[in-house]
Amino acid sequence: MATIPIRVPNLAASRTTARSRIRKRLPAAFALLPTALVVLVVYIGCMLWTVRLSFTSSTLLPKLDWVGLAQYSRLFANDRFLTSVENIAIFGVLFISGCLILGFLLAVFIDQNVRGEGVFRTVFLYPYAMSFVVTGVAWQWFLNPGLGLQKLVRDLGFPNFTFDWIVNQDMAIYTIVIAGLWHGAGLTMAILLAGLRGVDEDLWKAAKVDGIPTWRVYVSIVLPLLRPMVITATVLLTTGVVKLYDLVVAMTLGGPGIATEVPAKFVMDHLFERNNIALGTATATIMLIAVVSVLAPWVYARYVRPQGRHA
Amino acid sequence: MRLKKRVSAYTLAFAFISSSGALAQQKAEVLHWWTSAGESAAVRVFADQFTKAGGTWVDNAIAGGVNARAAGVNRIVGGNPPTMTQFNTGKQFDELVSAGLLRDLDAQAKAGKWREIMPKLIVDAVTREGKAYAVPVNIHGQNWMFYNTKVFADAGVEPPKTFPELLQVSDKLKEKGVIPLALGGQPTWERNLFNAVLVGHGGPDLFRKVLGERDQKAAKSPKFKEVVEIYGKMRGLVDQGSPGRNWNDAASLVITGKAAMHFNGDWAKGEFIAAGQTAGKEYGCTIVGETPREIIGGDVFVFPATKDKAQLATQDKLVEVLLDPASQLEFNKKKGSIPVRMDVDISSMDACAQKSHAVVKDPANQVEAQELISTPNFTGAMQDAITQYWNTPNMSADAFIEKVTAAMRDAS
Amino acid sequence: MNAAQPQGRRPRRLTPGRIGVYVFLISAALFFLLPLWIMVVTSLKPMEEIRLGNILALPQMLTFEAWSKAWSSACTGLECHGISVGFWNSVRILIPSVIFSIIAGAINGYALSFWRVKGANILFGVLLLGAFIPYQVFLYPLVRIFSMTGIYNSLTCIVLVHVIFGLPTMTLLFRNYYAGLPIELFKAARIDGGGFWSIFFQVILPMSTPILVVATILQVTGIWNDFIFGLTFAGRENLPMTVQLNNIVHSTQGERAYNVDMAATMLAALVPLVIYFVSGRWFVRGIAAGAVKG
Repeated sequence: MATIPIRVPNLAASRTTARSRIRKRLPAAFALLPTALVVLVVYIGCMLWTVRLSFTSSTLLPKLDWVGLAQYSRLFANDRFLTSVENIAIFGVLFISGCLILGFLLAVFIDQNVRGEGVFRTVFLYPYAMSFVVTGVAWQWFLNPGLGLQKLVRDLGFPNFTFDWIVNQDMAIYTIVIAGLWHGAGLTMAILLAGLRGVDEDLWKAAKVDGIPTWRVYVSIVLPLLRPMVITATVLLTTGVVKLYDLVVAMTLGGPGIATEVPAKFVMDHLFERNNIALGTATATIMLIAVVSVLAPWVYARYVRPQGRHA
Repeated sequence: MRLKKRVSAYTLAFAFISSSGALAQQKAEVLHWWTSAGESAAVRVFADQFTKAGGTWVDNAIAGGVNARAAGVNRIVGGNPPTMTQFNTGKQFDELVSAGLLRDLDAQAKAGKWREIMPKLIVDAVTREGKAYAVPVNIHGQNWMFYNTKVFADAGVEPPKTFPELLQVSDKLKEKGVIPLALGGQPTWERNLFNAVLVGHGGPDLFRKVLGERDQKAAKSPKFKEVVEIYGKMRGLVDQGSPGRNWNDAASLVITGKAAMHFNGDWAKGEFIAAGQTAGKEYGCTIVGETPREIIGGDVFVFPATKDKAQLATQDKLVEVLLDPASQLEFNKKKGSIPVRMDVDISSMDACAQKSHAVVKDPANQVEAQELISTPNFTGAMQDAITQYWNTPNMSADAFIEKVTAAMRDAS
Repeated sequence: MNAAQPQGRRPRRLTPGRIGVYVFLISAALFFLLPLWIMVVTSLKPMEEIRLGNILALPQMLTFEAWSKAWSSACTGLECHGISVGFWNSVRILIPSVIFSIIAGAINGYALSFWRVKGANILFGVLLLGAFIPYQVFLYPLVRIFSMTGIYNSLTCIVLVHVIFGLPTMTLLFRNYYAGLPIELFKAARIDGGGFWSIFFQVILPMSTPILVVATILQVTGIWNDFIFGLTFAGRENLPMTVQLNNIVHSTQGERAYNVDMAATMLAALVPLVIYFVSGRWFVRGIAAGAVKG
């Protein structure tokens, strides 16, 4: 990028010796200390606790006996768990890519200096504010063949119109994706819009001078600049995928049959409803391992190895 | 000036201590999950009675049994328990008992002659190693069939008495353009329907062997297969929109006459009452099966162990209130269940409750609800199998039975 | 202020392109509004009408009873004051939780993005992984930790929990936003001798408006809608509004008043909705450029 004329607030200049540089960095280390403590005690502590419990026979209350891998072999023989894994993969891919595409389109279109920007933005965001317990009922009704869309279109004079995904074991997971998009695309839009609005004004002027069409600017110049925000959105959406629970409970309760079961629901059901802490924590451990093995290489390559952004 | 300040601080502190002491004598924090309109009215009966007896009822309602139980267990384990907390009759609180976290209520049970006035299997369900640890407050029948009387009259058929009959009658209802069976297509209700068929067609012994003893031989018996096949045929009796539906919406279908029958626990009455219908007039209730056997469960309260004398006295008072005949009658009228005390005069209750009372009176008709005889874990595993069978039309009875025996092996 | 203007192409007369923009936005809006439509019409119908199952139809008998009931008289156990009971509790939890978690996230993101601290990136890596664990797994051990320290069941406790669980996403959000800012700014400030805090407050924070808005949207929504943490850690005196909402809409065996459920849900979402709408004012372009040019 071209050099930007910079005027920063006047701060007393000082000599940068090695020692003073370290002393300058000290506040940064202090600032990170509380987080480090939390990570150590809460996150790592709870992760270890979870993993430990998965090797026990705990039921309602945690106990610290040792049964080896018994819970894991039970888990992998459980067809509901296997279905859950398959579903989360389908949901994850469609939901994340769908949210990113739809979110980016919405952000770009809203960025066209449209009238009623505030209204559009709120309309796309509001689903994110609503508790799924009840919006799930609204979706369930709308998708129900006897009540919603199918009935509506048939009443309009198309008696053969069929839209029965939610009651069809092969298609039900896609209705969860639709409701998920409805819920999550607005947030993706907000994050990308924040990124768009952080893009340097001069860049637009330069592009205009060069006569590059707007869409090309968005795709070839702006999108690469938005990379950090796209990553942020992807990570947030991915955590949503891993934790996917409310949506399924509100819309299908895992049905028809076990067609829309997901891992987080498996964990919840076993931790609380079925008094089977051991199997629940074993599932949580598997989820953790899956997340770590997918993300760790990326986190390592991107964040751990390169120290900061400075050469 | 300074002295005055200090004195007033002391008096304030003293007043605070003494008032909180006085409160502690009668203050009871009650954790429960009765939050819908009907349920709220029901729990109010206990609260009012307790207030009348000089206590202060601090209500802590958390909807959803799972949420409320988790909150209760967390607080008991965290050392900050409520005065009493709700569970379902059955095995949910087993471990709290063996960890010594619940108060032993044997003295109250003996003094109140629970064994004489309550159904045996309910008392057994709150007893661990000879001692009572929970107070049952009601009996819910779980295998009732609600039907729309007008729909049956219009079709010119009688409500079915047995399950094979139900299948035949349904054909006639279908011809009339009525949905024979309204079902809330969620795993719990699919399991509830299965249990109704199991006890109604298979009989109480088979029910206990399969669900209680996890007897694989029973699961491979011809009788069980018959049950499974009948249940399988019932898949064709529901409408296309059944999967995922709330039971309330299923009941609405019967209320509005779009469907003929709905299997559910007696709590479903609440939905009919809210729609202004009367038992025995617009809707009827019956138990399907050669002899009507009622699957019974219900709610209990447990009392976290404490050494605090004042809390113990409060708990004693609560036990009294819960089992007082008058509050039993009023509470259960509102809750849709029947009193756990069989010696209460129920002539003022509705037709369905009277029917239920009459059935339960004979111990031979009492069948334990699944949660009384099966661990939450096995119940869940059965539910997973049942919901797959119900929702997969081409799954054979044998394939399902295979899943059941696998669940039995795994849950041991 | 020129910098606050949305960017680029000036609004033109209705060209085919502009029409396309509006067609796309309006049809997307219709998709997004569909469930809201169902909820609004349902909340305005009496139950007898809802039982008939015409979910998309306008109410024949318009009634606002469900709304007033949801707000102030629906029973949730013994209390019959609707969801209004927990409103102030939710506000009391929300404000400190949002402020502290955003401050923590901004400082972390800044320290991670511009400063070199040994082990900081490992810290961030672990924190990021922590964001993927289902919350439910933390509940039991956290209850034990908090009851040992004696703050279990208090306002402090629930605020602390929200700040702790906000850390991963907040840190990520700010770190990645700062990663997109021109590094030259920071270097110049360093050369001018700026220290950790002075650069943060004088250079970085003024450039953070859009991301602060996103962070606020995220946290206000997450914390306002939280149910499980509030239930577990807030204590009976501080139970948030979602507990009442849940009590109204969620019942296994009870009869259901869908109109009240829908009204309660929309009422409970009002605070985040207002924040979304108001936040637009700060959703402006060119902050970075504006700050740089001073």
